[in-house]
Parts: sequence; C-alpha cells; structure tokens
Amino acid sequence: MNRKKDKGFESPRPFKLTHQVVCINNINFQRKSVIGFVELTIFPTVVNLNRIKLNSKQCRIYRVRVNELEAPFIYNDPTLEVCHHESKQRNLNYFSSAYTAAVSAVDPDAGHGELVIKVPSELWKQGDDLKVLKVYIEFSLDQPKGGLHFVVPDVEGSMAERGAHVFSFGYQNSTRFWFPCVDSYSELCTWKLEFTVDASMVAVSCGDLVETIYTHDMRKKTFHYVLPIPTAAPNISLAVGPFEILVDPYMHEVTHFCLPQLLPLLKHSMSYLHEIFEFYEEILTCRYPYACFKTVFVDEAYVQVSSYASMSIFSTNLLHSAMIIDQTPLTRRCLAQALAQQFFGCFISRMSWADEWVLKGISGYIYGLYLKKTFGVNEYRHWIKEELDKIVEYELKMGGVLLHPTFSGGKEKDNPTPHLHFSIKHPHTLSWEYYKMFQCKAHLVMRLIENRISMEFMLQVFNKLLSLASTASSQKYQSHMWSQMLLSTHAFLKSISNVSGKDIGPLIKQWVDQSAVVKFFGSFAFNRKRNVLELEIRQDYTSSGTQKYVGPIKVTVQELDGSFNHTLQIEENSLKHDIPCHSKSRRNKKKKIPLMNGEEVDMDLSAMDADSPLLWIRIDPDMSILRKVEFEQADFMWQYQLRYERDVVAQEESISALEKFPTAASRLALTDILEQEQCFYKVRMQACFCLAKIANAMVSTWQGPPAMKSLFTRMFCCKSCPNIVKTNHFLSFQSYFLQKTMPVAMALLRDVQNLCPKDVLNFILDLIKYNDNRKNKFSDNYYRAELIEALTNSLTPAISITNEVRTVDNLNADVRLILEEITRFLNMEKLLPSFRNTITVSCLSAIRQLQKNGHIPSDASLFKSYAKYGHFVDVRVAALEALVDYTRVERSSVDLQWLLEMAQNDPAHYVRHKILGMLCKNPPFTKTTDPAPPFTKTTDSALCNEALVDQLWKLMNSGTSHDWRLRCDAVNLYYALFGLTRPSCLPLPELGLVLNLKEKKAVLNPTIKPELGVGPVMDTPASIGIHGVDPISLGVCGVGQPPLSLKRKAETPLGSPPEPGQILQQQEDDARGGRFKIRLKRRIGFNTMEDEDIDMETVHDSQAFIHHHLNLLERPSTPGKEPPSVEQSMLSMPATPVPSFPKETTPLSSKHGGEHGHHHHHHHHEHKKKKKKHKHKHKHKHKHESKDKEKDRERDNSQAYSNSPASGRSLRSPSLSD
Amino acid sequence: MADPAVVSGGALNAGGRGSGGKAATSPAENYHLARRRTLQVVVSALLTECGFDSAEKAAVETLTEMMQSYITEIGRCAKAYCEHTARSIPTLSDAVVTLIEMGFKADTLPLYAKRSQRMVITAPPVTNPPVTPKALSAGQKRTHPAHIPCHFPEFPDPHTYIKTPTFREPVSDYQVVREKAASQRRDVERALTRFMAKTGETESLFKDDITAFPLIAAQPSTIPYLSALLPSELELQTLEETDSSEQDDQTDGENAVGNMISDDPGADKENAMLPLSAVVPAAKASEDNVIDNPYLRPVKKPKVRRKK
Repeated sequence: MNRKKDKGFESPRPFKLTHQVVCINNINFQRKSVIGFVELTIFPTVVNLNRIKLNSKQCRIYRVRVNELEAPFIYNDPTLEVCHHESKQRNLNYFSSAYTAAVSAVDPDAGHGELVIKVPSELWKQGDDLKVLKVYIEFSLDQPKGGLHFVVPDVEGSMAERGAHVFSFGYQNSTRFWFPCVDSYSELCTWKLEFTVDASMVAVSCGDLVETIYTHDMRKKTFHYVLPIPTAAPNISLAVGPFEILVDPYMHEVTHFCLPQLLPLLKHSMSYLHEIFEFYEEILTCRYPYACFKTVFVDEAYVQVSSYASMSIFSTNLLHSAMIIDQTPLTRRCLAQALAQQFFGCFISRMSWADEWVLKGISGYIYGLYLKKTFGVNEYRHWIKEELDKIVEYELKMGGVLLHPTFSGGKEKDNPTPHLHFSIKHPHTLSWEYYKMFQCKAHLVMRLIENRISMEFMLQVFNKLLSLASTASSQKYQSHMWSQMLLSTHAFLKSISNVSGKDIGPLIKQWVDQSAVVKFFGSFAFNRKRNVLELEIRQDYTSSGTQKYVGPIKVTVQELDGSFNHTLQIEENSLKHDIPCHSKSRRNKKKKIPLMNGEEVDMDLSAMDADSPLLWIRIDPDMSILRKVEFEQADFMWQYQLRYERDVVAQEESISALEKFPTAASRLALTDILEQEQCFYKVRMQACFCLAKIANAMVSTWQGPPAMKSLFTRMFCCKSCPNIVKTNHFLSFQSYFLQKTMPVAMALLRDVQNLCPKDVLNFILDLIKYNDNRKNKFSDNYYRAELIEALTNSLTPAISITNEVRTVDNLNADVRLILEEITRFLNMEKLLPSFRNTITVSCLSAIRQLQKNGHIPSDASLFKSYAKYGHFVDVRVAALEALVDYTRVERSSVDLQWLLEMAQNDPAHYVRHKILGMLCKNPPFTKTTDPAPPFTKTTDSALCNEALVDQLWKLMNSGTSHDWRLRCDAVNLYYALFGLTRPSCLPLPELGLVLNLKEKKAVLNPTIKPELGVGPVMDTPASIGIHGVDPISLGVCGVGQPPLSLKRKAETPLGSPPEPGQILQQQEDDARGGRFKIRLKRRIGFNTMEDEDIDMETVHDSQAFIHHHLNLLERPSTPGKEPPSVEQSMLSMPATPVPSFPKETTPLSSKHGGEHGHHHHHHHHEHKKKKKKHKHKHKHKHKHESKDKEKDRERDNSQAYSNSPASGRSLRSPSLSD
Repeated sequence: MADPAVVSGGALNAGGRGSGGKAATSPAENYHLARRRTLQVVVSALLTECGFDSAEKAAVETLTEMMQSYITEIGRCAKAYCEHTARSIPTLSDAVVTLIEMGFKADTLPLYAKRSQRMVITAPPVTNPPVTPKALSAGQKRTHPAHIPCHFPEFPDPHTYIKTPTFREPVSDYQVVREKAASQRRDVERALTRFMAKTGETESLFKDDITAFPLIAAQPSTIPYLSALLPSELELQTLEETDSSEQDDQTDGENAVGNMISDDPGADKENAMLPLSAVVPAAKASEDNVIDNPYLRPVKKPKVRRKK
C-alpha cells in the first residue's frame, strides 16, 4: 500500500496560507454581478518564491498586487474547454483522460491553480528571510454560472420584497468559482469576511458576526465576519437575501434564516434541532467546535444539504408545517446530516482526496447513530440494509467503488478503476452517482470498523481526533499545529490502533483499498445421522464488482431448542461447513421455542420437515460484510423466519425470498405479518407488495376476495359500512403508512386476463370518493398522492387496435373513471395546492402511464408546460421524467433537443442535473453493446445521429465548465448513449490506414479499395510508415497521455514543476526536433491516426467492414445532411492539424511552442492536401465548401490564444504588459 | 237584556254563509245586526208607548245606541261584581246592585214591568248562538289535566302550540351521510374546476375533443415555493379547529412543542409582512431578555473618521 506513512502534512505549495480576507463590496441582483477583493497572507516556505498559483474560475480579475506592488499574472483555465479545436475525436476514453489531465493541471492538492501570479522581483530577491507576502486581488463576477446562484423572482417591488437572494454552492471544492483562493481542503487559514449588502438584506456567512455597520449613505450595511478557526476555502460560503431571522429558542447561538413568509414553517421545522446538537455533543463528548451555527434555507438549492464552516445551506423545500407527516423525518435527517458534517468535514477537513472516505464515513456513521437513537433500532437496521443493498447493486452493475484510491507515480496506467468511464483521481471527474455510492460505502465501512473494535472505542477515536483538532485550532499559525485539523486515512487508522489496540488492517485492505463487494451463494443439507447441518457457501468473485472474501463469517441457526451463532472461516478452497446441531429432530410439542432475543414463543411446527430440527438459517445476520447473499432454504423456513425472527432485516429478507414461493402458506404468513401491529411498519409495507406478487402468481387458485382487501377493510373502514373508509385521523403513523401503501400494492393485482380486477379498481375509486380529511389535524396530501399512484398502478395496456388514434369515444369505461379522478385532482391542485404539490406530481406520472399504455394519445405538450421554470421543482422533475420517458418511447428528436436545451440553459442547477441524470437512467437509446452483426445498421434509433453526438460532445467539452457535477452528468449520458468508443453513428473517416494498436494490425481503409485496389487487411506490424515510433507513443484511442493543449502550454514558461504528463522544459527542443522528423516519416501513419476511432476490436469481419463502407458511399445523399458530414470528416485531417498533433504524439509534442508548431502544421497540411486531392477526385464537388471551412479553421487557430474567455482576458489585461 | 231578540238573524246568517264570503258578513256580524234590529224594535215600541207617532231614523238610531250602551254597561258591571266575589256566573243580586249603582231605583222595576200599556213584542226566533268556526283544526284539542279545574280556559287550538317542522327529519344513517358528503364535495369540486377550466386557459389530453377532460393550464408562478410549502387557508382553519378540539389528546411532549410553536400564526404573519425581518418574536424576546445574538444587535452607524 502506498498510503502516506509520514505523520505530518506536506503542503504541495511553496508557501503556506495563514489568513485570507474576502471583501465583497457590491452585490447587484439586477445584473447578477459581484465586485470585491481578496487578500491572502502567505508565508513562503522556499527561498525565491517567484510564482504563486491560486485557484480562480470565471472571475474577472482586475489587478493583482503583492505587498503593494503590481504583479503580472496569467489566468488560464484548461477545464473551460477540455479538448481544443478537436473536431472529430469523439471517443469517451479520450475525453476522460483529457478531462482528468485538465483537472489535474489546476488541482490545488497538487499545488496547481488557474491563476499564476508572478511575484515582483523586488520581493523575491530578498525572499530568503521568509517574509510575509500579502497578495491582493481585485475581482468581479458577472452573471456567474457556477459558484454563486442568484434567485431573482420576476415580480414587482424591491429586491427584498421580491425575495431575491444569492448563495454559494458547488460540488466539492468549488469556492474558486466565486473568489480567488487556494481551493483545497487541506490549506487552512483564518478568515475575515466582509459583505456589503442592501440595508434590507442579510448576509450570512461563516464565522462570527462581529458587527454590522451602515454605509455612509445608510442604504447599505456591511456584515463583518471573523472566522478564527483555521478553515479551508471550500468550507467558506455565503448567503445573502431578505431573510427572516429566527434565534433558536433553545440555543441562542444558533440562528435560522428563511425566505420571507416562511417563518412559521421555519419555527416548526427547527424546533427539533437542539436535540440533534445534544445528541452529537453527548456521543462525541465534545462541544460543537464553532461559536455559532447558522442554518439558511434557500430556493433552487444545488443540493438539499450543504455544510460549511459554522453554517449550513438547505433547500427551502425542507421546511414544513406541523400538518405534514412524511416530510418531518426527512427534514430531521437532513438536519442531522448537516450537523454531523459540521464536525467531520468542516471542522476537521481532509488531507487529500484519497482521505475523503474517512470524513464521509465518520459523518455518515454518527448520523447513523443518530438515526438509531431517534427513529429506533428497527429503522436503523432497515436503513443499513437499504444502504447495503444499494451499494451492492451499484457495484455489481457498474463495477467497484474504491474508497481509498492510491495513485502511484500518477501514471494513468495504474488506473485503479479501469471499469469506469471516468477517472476517480479527482472529485471533479467523478460521476455523481458514484460519489453518492462512495459516501454510502464509506459509512458502511465505518460500521464494519465499529463491529470490529466496538462502538465505545470508535467514539473514543472520534473524540480524540476532535480534541486534537480543537487544541490545534486555537493555536497560532506559527506553532505548525494546524495540520492536526486535517485527517488522513493513516492518522485515522493509527488512532484506531492506539485506542483499541486492535489490528483492523485486513478489514481496511478488503473494503477500503480494494473496490467491489462479495457475492455469496448459500445452500444447506441436514445430515440426520450425524445431526449436522452441512452448509455450503460459494462465492462469485469473477464477475464485475465482486471480490473474494476470506475470513470469518457469522451464521445463525434457529433450531427447535434455540438460536445458535456459529462463526465459520471462509477460506480459499473450503466450501462446505459442518455445523453440529444442538437439538434432536424429535419435537417436544409442549416446549416453547426460545428465540435469539431470549423470547420464548409457541409455534405451529406442523409445516416443518419432521426429520430436521432447523427452523431457519441466516448467513451474516449482522451485515458485517459488504455482501449480497443468495441463500436457499425451503419455503416453510422462510415463513418461519418471517413470522418469528425478530430482526427486521431477516423479515425483509424472507419477504423477498417468499416472492418465489406463491403458496397458500406464504400468503398466510404475509397476511399475518400485515396484521401484526407490533411488526415494524416498513416490513409490513414490503409485505404488501410481496403479497400482491404472490396473489398474481396464484391467480388461478386464489380463494376469497382480492388480497389485502378484507384486511384493509378491517383496519381502515367503518364497522357499520365496510365499503366506506373511516374519516382520516392519522394518529398512528404506522397505520398511516400502511394505509397509504396497501392500495398501491393492491392495484398491482391482476386477474386471469392480466387486468386489474374490477372490484379492486372500484375499491380504490371508493377510497378516493370517501376520503374525508376535515377532522384531521394532518394533511392528507401524501395519502391522496398515493391513491393516484394506486390508480396508475391499476392501468394495463389498452387493447391495441393498430395505429388507431386514441379518441375520447373509444376510451375504456374504467379508464374514463380514472381519468375523471385525475383531471379533478389536477385541477383542484390549481385552486388548493398541496404541500410540495405531491398531487400534481402523481397526476403527471399517471397521465404519462395512460399515454404509455395507449389509453390516451401520447403527447408531450402537457409535460412541457409543467416542466417550465416557475413551477415547483418537484413538479418540474416529475414532468421532465415523463418527458424523458416520452422521448425514449416515441423516439422524438424534437423533445430530446428540448430536454438538452433545458439541461444547458435552465436557471435551476438541480433541474439541469436531474434532466441529464434521468436521461442516463432512461436513455432514448442505448449504446450498441453487442455489435453482433456489425455495420448492418449503426443503431436502430433515428435519434442517434452525428448532430446529437456533436451536441453532447460540446456540452461536456465546454458547455458545462461551470458545474463539475453537470459535466460529469453529461459524460455519463454520453457513456450511456455511445459507450466508450467512437459513436457508431458517426461516418467513418475515409483515410488511409486503420491502425489497431492492440492487435498490432494495420488495415487499409477499405473505402478506398475500389480506387487503389489494395487488399483490405494487411497483416503487417504497425510499423508501416511509422518507423521509429513506439506505437504506444502515438497515443491513439486515448490510451496514451492526454494532450496538453495550447492553452495549458502557456503556463510552462513560468517554470511550474512538471506535472504528470508534462515534459520538462529542457526536453522541449529535442522533442520538437524529434517530432518534426517523425512527422515527415509518418505521412501514411498520419492518416492512420484519424481512423483510430473505429474500434477495431469489433471489426471481426473485414468483408462486412468493406461492405459497410461501400454502403456508406452509395447511400443516396440527402441534401444538407449526410454528404457534408461525410465530407467533413474526411477532410477533418487537413483542416484541423493543431489539435490532432498533440493527440498523436502526446508525450513528445505536448510542449511544442505555438509559432513553430503552427508553421510546421501548415507545411504539413499543404502537403497532405495535395495528396488528398489526388486520392479523392470524385469528391471534387465538395471542395469549395471545405476550403471555406478550412479558412475558418485557420482563423480559429490563429486566435487560439484569445479564444478562451479567461485566457483572453488575462492576456489583454494591463498587468501583463508590466 | 237577557233575552236578546233577533229578527232575521237566522236568515241572514244562512245567506251570509251561503254566499261564501263575497258579502263580507261573518256569522258573528249577522248576529250583532239581528240583535240591533231587535233593539230598534224595542226602542220603537217604547216610543209608541210614550205616544210618538213617528220618529226620525237618526233619533231611533241614537236611542238604540244609548239603550245598547246602557244594557251593556249593566252586563259588564254585573259581571264585575260577580267576579269580585269569585264567581263566574252573575246572580240576580249582582244585577240589582248594578242597577242601584247606576242610579236606577231597582224597586220601581217590577211596577214598570207590570204597566198596562206595555207592548208585547214577539220573541225573536231563537237561533243558536253562532259557533265560532274553527279556523284551523290541527289535531285533537287537549283536555285539561286532572289538577286543573274545568272552569279554567280550555287549551287553545293545538296549532298554536304544537311545532310542526317544515323540513324532513335528517337521515342519521352513517353510510348515507358519508355518501352524501362525498358526492356533494365531489360535485362542488367538479363544478368548480369545470368552471375554472371554462373561464380560463386549458390543456387537453385529447386532440379530437378538447372539452372532454379539460385541465386548467399550468401557470408558472414567480415564487413557486410559497404556494407549495405554505399550508392553505383552508388547512390552517382545519388545523385550528382540530387543535382546539383535540388539545387534550396531546400527550407526547414533542408534539406539544410543535403545536405550541405553530400556534400563533397570527403573530408570525405580522412578522412575515415586515420586509426587514430583524425582528424576533416579541414573546420570545420578553421571556428571555438576555438573548445576545449578533443578528439581533442594532446596526451601527458608520464612523465618520474611517472613510471619506
């Protein structure tokens, strides 16, 4: 393991930041702009500190001064556009590596940054005495797309009356979006924050509010904050708005802020916070580290909860009134999460990205303890199971999640997660879903550690970490103690071993240093003679996302005489385990059967096997392995387990297992559980759905009324008139949840014709009809929403008459009733909106289902109107979900465009993220994973075309540079649609050779075969025309080093230390010369490069390949669409030499100087053109257009420097001329 | 006086009744007319006795009037004496006392009655005193209960004291009530939404028949979270009602806290209206004066020397 063994923290920077002032003088809501300055106090740690690298994105920087001296600076952000001018390179491998390189190039954890400041020579000459430097930067932000979010409702009135507000947001370290800083979690400093805002507004930020002072004109006021605890820049935040202020009645140092008119909700929602405070402080035996805490509730929040030093920003949609049941636990959970992160994440920060799992793990773990205390052990265990199932499902589907990645030497080759289409080297390249799973796994691993060393030790470790940190936080910078506030994996593990004296090395190795989960298959046989249980546990460790487990595993066997735990050793080759049984199989009927928890119960043992004393068996009942267990036992054993095992996890497992046993006994067991009020309500809810499935499987033999109907009637209907439901009171939340769930499950019942039984539908309609909430002190909006969902579930596909337009007249009578209800509900919602518009949300999905099942005409316009900005976010998401589904089913390119348009331009970041996320989950078409008959048809969807590829490429390449999360979403979508390689819908570039580096084969592009008469496949080594070049160095297929663009080259003259993939400066000349030679030699080879996108591994049949190409050429050219694209790709090689060079010759050419390279390209370029003309005479008619295009390209090239807004700005800025 | 003479009362009565109301003479009126007629005859006879040959009609009328008054007064007085002595039917002595009281020499009366020249008037045909017709005969008239002497006035007609409900008895059957409430609410909702849909923009699920299932068009709002999060007036009302009715059900402390805090929406609203909200609920501030929260401190005036 390459885990850092050294104790202290080594800064990657040649200086240490000690204090930073952020002053924002003006926030203009009308123009959405911000003006301010920052001042960083830094101590150089080297002599001759001549350059300072800081992080800054999208800020316009006016001037930089170092100790009052104007300093020149360069501002270069390679992530703005990941692949420059790269026209035809469309494979995701290539993009991912380029993106990772771009992020690495400015990674603050590696000491890099977008903003490079040259320390005036006057200062560094005398730098050996390690003098303090003060770096002063004036900046502004104009309509920021990331980092700060302005919410300005378009109504009459002043900004305060309109409820306009602004807040900072971001995924991981994103503070650089709104002020220049060292945007690293490991660079701590103290802070002074000043915000001048309109007198009607409040500015909430980190630290203690020292004073608020009016400006001279009394129109504005300045909020002065001081944060004396060393804090990393990513933990700094700001929220400004006309907030209503609520001082917590229990803790006066805690202040809550919400938007106007929501104060009553705020009061109710926050009335509980102090208990969470008390809980954490008690278990951690440590006071809350900051002097104050602020909660701010904002609209259009990026995520529901985000924690910063001494404040948290929440979505305003978490607020609720006392009438709402369902939201209450959710909001409390969010509060608890936020508060847990205050301790671990904000106060204690991570040392590097690889240590992120520790902080996420600890905060998630103590959050879990809170859940256990507040919501009970059942809820906690249920939650653990849920989380475990989630991570297992994800890893088995997508491949492993690695908690502690190590990057030895920073070489791309050592990618620890080759199965992923993104790099996990940086938080900013991670897919959001992966990150969520990462967090989930982190807290589960913490729980595993707890299992190993006991909770007491665990809490002691946390306490130790916190006390170390709080001691350090009160020290001055000079004491070099601040790094104690950074937590690394190593320090954490060391602390564990110190406190507990236990070695958790194997556990860490298994779950933290390795990805993937364990998959067990278990089965057993009972040997009557020996009275032994022969248990067989097999593992699948070959499929993706699985690993081999070796070590102890707990097995619990419930026998007639009691419950017994056995610890087995899973070893390399032993599959079978013999477990001696304690009880004789002969039953003693008088005796009660003792359970695990000491309880003794009577059981009806008639169902069980007379020869065996086994009631049920559980493998790893404590979930102390991250695993999936598929265990085989008889149905009666599952039934006993469901009825008598008291652990909710066991009950839930048995319910899922019983789905496979549709028998009367299963039915009875489930019904009994449903009725049993002591049983955990979530188990009962799950039992509903299982019962529905069983009933459907037993449809021909089912006796009596539809499943659950009589049960529901007994529980919730009036005694005198069983068809009428009682008026709502919802006093018992358990029954409330059950009442909500049962109709939904019942609606899934189907009769022999596979239709929802008539009396079930009528029953649900009656529930809606007789629903009466007048006497209830709780709102019934969630209940009604569930009833609509029940109606939706009852829908079955319409009897389709081919291609008939759906009209009102041929509407099915039942569907008419359903539609009637939905219409009424949806309309009533306009007059009396429900909390979070839950009813509208349900109605929209119901309408989509009606459309999908062919009952009403499929139409997207309704959803579009609900998806527009200005509706409540839940409604928008529901409408968008329907639209995404519509797009897939109807293959509508117009609507796909509409969605992508919104994903690019919508004001709400969350919605944009959601759109891409939903498109990934439900993609309009999927990548052709199985290219069995290759090239017969590229893809069966008309949506998959070149324009879409270009659009998505542009979206992830440059369109989403302001939001890491969104960019990763776009990458995910691209992956879902096209896979890793070049999309098959793109025309093949018709150029000379096709080079397959893996197979060391070169294939002459068969399209030119008719002209040249060359055989299609040449089994020659790759050396044709590329003598002397190592094939790998060609960097084809994105295997090699990512290119470093011209933009990034600009920083190399400043003498930055070489970063991975960069070449030392002194090599530059050699490289240039060398490359020149290579290039001349490689004329043919060059052609091959353009073709690399065709994944040759899929080209098994060369004849088919040729055939396809011929087809491509012979295809009737649809004017304006097909031919230009073909032609464009053919000519792309000569037209875009600049980007193509770095791609091919990456390691060598990455440093070529701008001018030289240019010249050279042109030369080369000309040459090629001649050759090309010669080759493709038949393409002459396209030449004109292409020439124009070329000119454009050339113009672009000449402007390469000024192209990117950021770099252009800095180039033009006066300071550079200094 | 005790022998009221009626000349043609019977006939008149019959006529009046027969005509069915056109002649506005009720039977009682007829009776009075007949009596007056008899009186006129008496007056005329007395005049003849006294030696008049003829008399003007007006004079006869006046005299009749006087006589009637006189007799009435005697009757009234006699009745008063009778009742004074706690009796209900006047006796002879009552009449005598009355006459004396009125200044009439009672002992002269027998002589006067026995005078020679007196005219004999034929007695008017005896007619039954008219029965006051029963205006409304609603139900059986109640008889006196045993403890009330029978001389007390009879019960009035039942219609004067028996209430007859004008609406039907409400059906108390639970099922029907629920059914009714449900369908009523549904009808109201449907009518309302249809109305809203008719008067505003709509969207439709069907292309062929736009009116089939009209959906009120979705209108984006400028601040969508307000309507989505804040409880509607209706819900607030319900909450207040149920809160007051179920206050005693509140046993668990956590809920009680929640309710306490959400209990004064009025006060909160006021705060909510203030554009600048550096206001802490007054109640809280007063209950604990030592809250020192930086956000509640007054904003300082700028120092003059600091900036230009």
